[in-house]
Formats: sequence, C-alpha cells, structure tokens
Amino acid sequence: MSAVEARVAQLEEIFLRFELKAESDADNKTGGPLVPRARHYELAQALKEAGWTSYVAVVASHWLEEKKGETVVDVEHFEVATALRSVGAGTLVAKWRVRLELNEDIDSLFPLFAGADWQEREQYDLVGVSFKGHPDLRRLMMPDEWVGHPLRKDYAIETGCAPWR
Amino acid sequence: MAVAETPPAAPVTPAAQATPIAPVTQVAASTGPLVPSGPPRDGPIPPIRAARTPRTDCKPTKAFVPEPHLDLSTYEADADLMTLSLGPQHPSTHGVFRVVLYLDGEQIVKAVPYPGYLHRGVEKLCEKLMASNITPIIDKNDYVAPMTNEQAVNMAFESLMGVEVPVRARYLRTVLAETQRVASHLLWLGTFGMDLGGALGGGTSLFMWCFRERELILDLFENLTGCRFHYNTHTVGGNRHDVPAGWPEMLHRTLGAIDERLDQYLGMLEHPIFSARTKGVGVIDADLALELGLTGPLLRASGVDHDLRRDAPYHAYAEVDLKVFVEDAGDCWARSKVRIEEMRESIRISRILVDNLPPGPICSTKPLKMVGQHKLPPGQVYVGIETPRGELGTWLIGGGANKGSSPYRLKIRSPSLHACAVIPYVLPGCSLSDAIAILGSLDPVMGEVDR
Amino acid sequence: MAVKDQLAALEAERNYEHPIYDVLARFPGLDIATTSVDALLEWGAKNSLWIFPMATSCCGIEFMAAAASRVDLDRMGTIVRGTPRQCDVMVVAGTITVKMAPRVKRLWDQMPEPKWCIAMGSCAISGDFYRDIYSVIPGIDIVVPVDVYIPGCPPNPESLMAGMMRLQERVSLKRAGKPVPKDERPETHDKTIVPKIGRFEDRIAKDPNDRTTRLQELSARTLKVQGLELPDESGE
Ligand code: SF4
Repeated sequence: MSAVEARVAQLEEIFLRFELKAESDADNKTGGPLVPRARHYELAQALKEAGWTSYVAVVASHWLEEKKGETVVDVEHFEVATALRSVGAGTLVAKWRVRLELNEDIDSLFPLFAGADWQEREQYDLVGVSFKGHPDLRRLMMPDEWVGHPLRKDYAIETGCAPWR
Repeated sequence: MAVAETPPAAPVTPAAQATPIAPVTQVAASTGPLVPSGPPRDGPIPPIRAARTPRTDCKPTKAFVPEPHLDLSTYEADADLMTLSLGPQHPSTHGVFRVVLYLDGEQIVKAVPYPGYLHRGVEKLCEKLMASNITPIIDKNDYVAPMTNEQAVNMAFESLMGVEVPVRARYLRTVLAETQRVASHLLWLGTFGMDLGGALGGGTSLFMWCFRERELILDLFENLTGCRFHYNTHTVGGNRHDVPAGWPEMLHRTLGAIDERLDQYLGMLEHPIFSARTKGVGVIDADLALELGLTGPLLRASGVDHDLRRDAPYHAYAEVDLKVFVEDAGDCWARSKVRIEEMRESIRISRILVDNLPPGPICSTKPLKMVGQHKLPPGQVYVGIETPRGELGTWLIGGGANKGSSPYRLKIRSPSLHACAVIPYVLPGCSLSDAIAILGSLDPVMGEVDR
Repeated sequence: MAVKDQLAALEAERNYEHPIYDVLARFPGLDIATTSVDALLEWGAKNSLWIFPMATSCCGIEFMAAAASRVDLDRMGTIVRGTPRQCDVMVVAGTITVKMAPRVKRLWDQMPEPKWCIAMGSCAISGDFYRDIYSVIPGIDIVVPVDVYIPGCPPNPESLMAGMMRLQERVSLKRAGKPVPKDERPETHDKTIVPKIGRFEDRIAKDPNDRTTRLQELSARTLKVQGLELPDESGE
C-alpha cells in the first residue's frame, strides 16, 4: 500500500467514525461532507491527532438560496469549509463543510491551529461569519470602522467609503 | 576632589593611520580594535558580533512568553514601554505592511501586525468575471511570481471542469514554474541584501547583482509571452504560447550563467557578518511552523520534509527526480540556505525538462472565441501547488454569475498570509535590528497577503 | 591660437548635446565656467530629483527594476530615499487602497516644496481594473496632485525613464518661471481596458427584478454610497 492509499484509508476511517461519507479524491467536487456544527471542532481535533497537522484554509461563502430536492428556496445561509493537510509523503487534504444559519457562529479552530488566527479573522471581516472562541476577532483587511462585509452576495462591488471613493 | 577624570584620548599612532582598513574577515578573527582612536577601555575589546556562532544571548532578559495576544498591562518594563510603528510605508516591510512594535529598550516585547493596506478585493472581482478573464487578474496577486499564480487558478478551473492538459503543456508549465522560482528567489535575495544593510557589500551590490540575473529571466519570459511580467500565458487546458525557435538554447544560456554565479551567493552565506545577523535569529521550530500553516522554504528550513512537488506531484514533477532541501535550524540563515539551494535545483530541473519537451499540442481547449465559452459547473474543488513562497491554494466554487461562467466564490489560500502571521510569535524577544532581518527572511508579498 | 578659435574648435569637437553647454562657456586648460546663477540652479534642480517611492504593489517591482542595474535611474541624478523629508518627487507605483490613501496624503504633506508627483501605472492613474472595487481609490489624483502620468500595467522601466525626463522638462520650466503644462489624465476607453463588471445602474436597467441586484441596491442605500444616483423609490 502506497503512502497515499494509507492516508486515504485513514481518512475514510475517521470520517466513518463521524458517520460521514468520504468521497474519493477523483470525483470529490463537493468540497467534502457536510458536518453538523456541533461536531466541527471534534472532527478537526481527531484529524489533527491522526496526522493532519498543517492548517490549509477556511472558506466561508454566503448563499442566498438553497436547493431542496428539485425546488430552489430562499434561505439565506453561510457555508464554512475547512481544509487540513497531512505532511510528508502521500500528503492528503482533508476537507469538510459546515452549514450555518445567518445568526449562528462556529467554533474557532485557533486552540488547535495557530494558523487559523488570521484566516478566521479574514473570513469574519469579508464574509461576516463569527468564530466562537477566537481570542482576537477583529477586521483584518478593511479598516475597523468599515460597515458591511464585502464578500456577501448582497454587498455591491462598488460600495464606497467617503471621502476617498 | 573626587571629580572623575576623563581619560585622555589615545594618541593615534602613525602606524595605525598608515594601515589600510583590513578586510572584514580578518577583523572578525582578531580581537583588535576596529578603529584605534577613542578612549581606552578596560580589558580587551570584545570582538564584533561576527565571531559568535549561534546566538544564545538574544534571549529576553526577563521571563516572558512570546505570546501573540500578550496583555501589555501585565508586563513590567525596565524603562518606559515605547511604541514604534513600522510601516505601512517602510522599505524593509516589502510593500505596504504595518507592524506596531512595543519596545522595552532595544528589545521587542510585543509585535502587532496590521495587514490590509493592499486589499484590492480580487475575490469579489473574480465573482463578476468569466473564467478566461480571471487569469490576468490573478497575475497581479503574487507579483513576484505571476507564473505560478496563473497555474494555480487554471489548475483549479481544469479540475472543476474536468479538462485534461496535454503532456507538452505540462512539461512547459513545469519549466516556467521552476524558472519563475529562480527569478522570485533572486528578487528575495537582492532585497534581503538591502535589508541587512552593510552586511553584504554595502547593501546595494547584492541588489544590483540579483537584478542583473533576474532581468535575464524576464527577457526569457518576454521572448515567450511578450510581457516582462503579468504574462497571461496559461489558459484552461494548457498554455497560449508555444516555445519559439531558439528558446531552449536561450534558456540554457541564461540558466547556465546564473548557475555559475550561485556559487558566489552560496559563499556569501559564510560571510561572518551575514551569519552574525542571521544565525540563531528568528527561530521558528517545526511544531510552530506546522501549526501556523507555514509552507514552502519556511517550513523546510524548520526541518519538516514536505514539498508538494514531490509528495503530491502535479505538472510533470513525477517524471523528474526532485531533490528537496531541508535545514534544521529554522533561523534566517537556514531559510536563506534553503532558498539558494532551491534555485540550483530549479535550474537543473528546467534544463532537463526543456530538453525533453514532448511534441504535440500545447492546449486541449479551443482558443477563446466567444464570451462564456468555459463553463464552470457547480461544485467545489481545492487545488494547492507549490509556489516559491509555499502552498498556493485555490478554493473554487463553480456555477456563479454570467450563466455559470464565473465562479460563485474563489478563495485564494496564500502562503504569504501565513508567513506574516508568524510575526507576533517570532519577534518578541528579539532586538529591533533583528526584526528587519526576520521580516526580510519571511519573504512575504503583500499583494498575496491582502489580495 | 586665439582663445576664440580654440573655443570654436572645441565647439566643433563636441559630439553630444547637453543643455548645460548652451549656458556654459568653457575656457581651455582651466576648470572654470561662467553661467548665470539661474541657469545653474535650474540645471541643478532638474538633475537632482530625489525620489520617494510610494511602491505599493506590482509597479513597485518595475520601479525597483528601473533603479537596478540594467536601466539605472541613478544616472539622472536621482536617489531613492526612504524618507519623504529629503525628497522632491513622489512616485506612486501601485494600487492605492482606501486604507492607504490617508497615509499617502500624510507622506505627501511631509515632503518639502517644491515637490512633484508621478503616477506610475494604470492603478495609480485610474485604478485599473480594480477601479470599481469597494476598497480601491480610482486614481491617485483624488489624493495628491499629479504632474506626470506614465501609463502601462506595469510600465516598462524605460517608460519610467521617459516619464522622468518629461518631469525634468517641467522642473526647468517652473524654475524659469514659465507656465508649466499640465498632463492630461489618460482617458480609459470605454471598450478596451475597464471590464464591464456591471455597475448598479447597468444591472438595474438590465433586470430590475433580479434578487441579488435588489439586495445590493438595498445595502448600498443603507450604507449611503457616495455618488450613486439610484432611481428614487419614493416616487414610484
Ligand atoms: S498598474 Fe498593473 S502592474 Fe501596476 S500596480 Fe496596477 S495592477 Fe500592478
């Protein structure tokens, strides 16, 4: 068994423990399985213990609608995707998503990965998802007095800030 | 009367006047005074710092945790705590980046970085543009290595759309990526030399040398793509410009010339002043490096053997046998060493691959004729590649505006962001002059941090 | 040979044109020159333009390339300094964002008179394709007065050199008390450079019932976007 196959098997085993279906890498175009909000931190911890020690990314996206079966319904919500990487030979990315309502927050991974610090601040700044347990949740890119979260879909790209724009 | 007498100035001996200033290597070895004038001191004059190898005395004088979110009200300073705002416009912050330093004397107690002075909203812009229009915009993110930026985003498109890249394009992409790595590291070396000031031949010599070499590589790219930088040469499914006649020879000539000079640069690492300013400075240990998500040369200089080119091969990396350089020290010197060794390896690989360019088409998709030709189906992919600065990832969610030819969300995971996030952990405990050396050795590109 | 003849011979030998020779009369064998103080000052002013690099992004790298070995800006008497208080020219090379603009203004105010500003690259001129983005200043002339525009994305080092020479002409004109022509701000053609990413007005006109557009309009209203002329809802 090559190093990659071993990693894939390990990942499947962990996901199984969390009652998730791991997709194979070739047709994994869903961004990973959906994880309940409560188990997000737990999953990250289990992965870290199993060797996914490098923090890759957190991606929050803002959705205005959702597909329920065949129909599309207007439900404004967030989706937060996280990716971790195992280091060395046969490196593999483990990724999963968490669905959030507008007013919900998500556990910060800062206690596990110091690298989550700035990435989470960035997502808070640009998308407006708040991370519970982050020690220093401030805006990262925009000035502190900025109003609104630019990467939300209802934020117009040319929204300006007086007097410069 | 107990008036302290000022000691008389030592007479300047004619012999000392006549002696020309010794080369720095000799001064470092002897313990003699650099300039023989001035009041005599008690005991032998300590050698200049060059004689010390790994520094142990840069430990903070009082016990404190180098903690990024240190509460300053609990810290008792010897003197008044001084606040120094470094940046956003400072030559050694490599762009527009601001670090607020809290200083206890010469020693840094806390460092708070403020990025975002170059936030250009690229991710929002990409949600409005079509896949084919995104490449030239992404070029401007990491403006020191635009080639690898283009590759990262186009590989994400290809992965989402399920497009195959022809073998010739894969080889060419590898050559371009590796050549770009040499250019990028050269720029780093030049600016690092400037940051260290007098350490390397008065600061600007190294800068001039490195730019001389870098211009040669830019000529090479200009010959291929028509641009000095911001090439826009990659597209979905391959490259847009095929190798012109005589280009491989030109590449051999250029890289051969640079390869010869690399020995000089490697020799410079042994320069006593250079090692004094970099050895033992800004140590990042392997655990911290991993936890902070550092990648690329920064991670490898901390002793972690990890390189996406070898561990998860893309392009044509599986076909070459790539040597990965790892250093254990994790200090500025190790980072310099890893980068210079990487240049040599990149040159070797490019020269091998350009000789073995397989024949065939360069692009598997049709040239762009109409708007919205490339459709991004709904779905999410993450593609990470190894750029000169580390893992550059693209998280792409398809099926956006313009009838699905724009991404719904495009997130760029930039290695420089993580490199800058290291600052609050490394700077506390160092002296102010070390801060500049550490910032330089991290090699951040602000366009990529802020995007 | 009379001095006059010698001078004429020297004049004939001269194989390059430097403006200084129009005002200096050289005496052979002696290192003496005579000129008017004005001409000397003018010559000095335009050949010692010290640069303050406001190099924020990619154009900054081309600026560095211009200052480095191949093009070597230094031979025009320029020195790149890190502090605004010693400089005559500010070269704005790169995108200026909302967060950076107040700093640019402050650094500009710190420069001593007489001072000049060069806008290098499309970003500094007009914001380039970041023009419509929330965080980017559409052109640096909103913040500081610009004397010379150098278009390009990025301009070649040679273009920067040409721009510096254009600036030198202006400096000597100003020194001589003559009117200094103002550079026209380069127009960005509607169809070429700026991608139509769709401003509000366009989007609303195209599909007034599109949900995202309506939402964005709403947010723009609540955020009190400057300079937006949206259709008045109350009249409907
Ligand atoms: S004009 Fe082009 S090269 Fe210059 S800063 Fe703007 S995007 Fe970069």
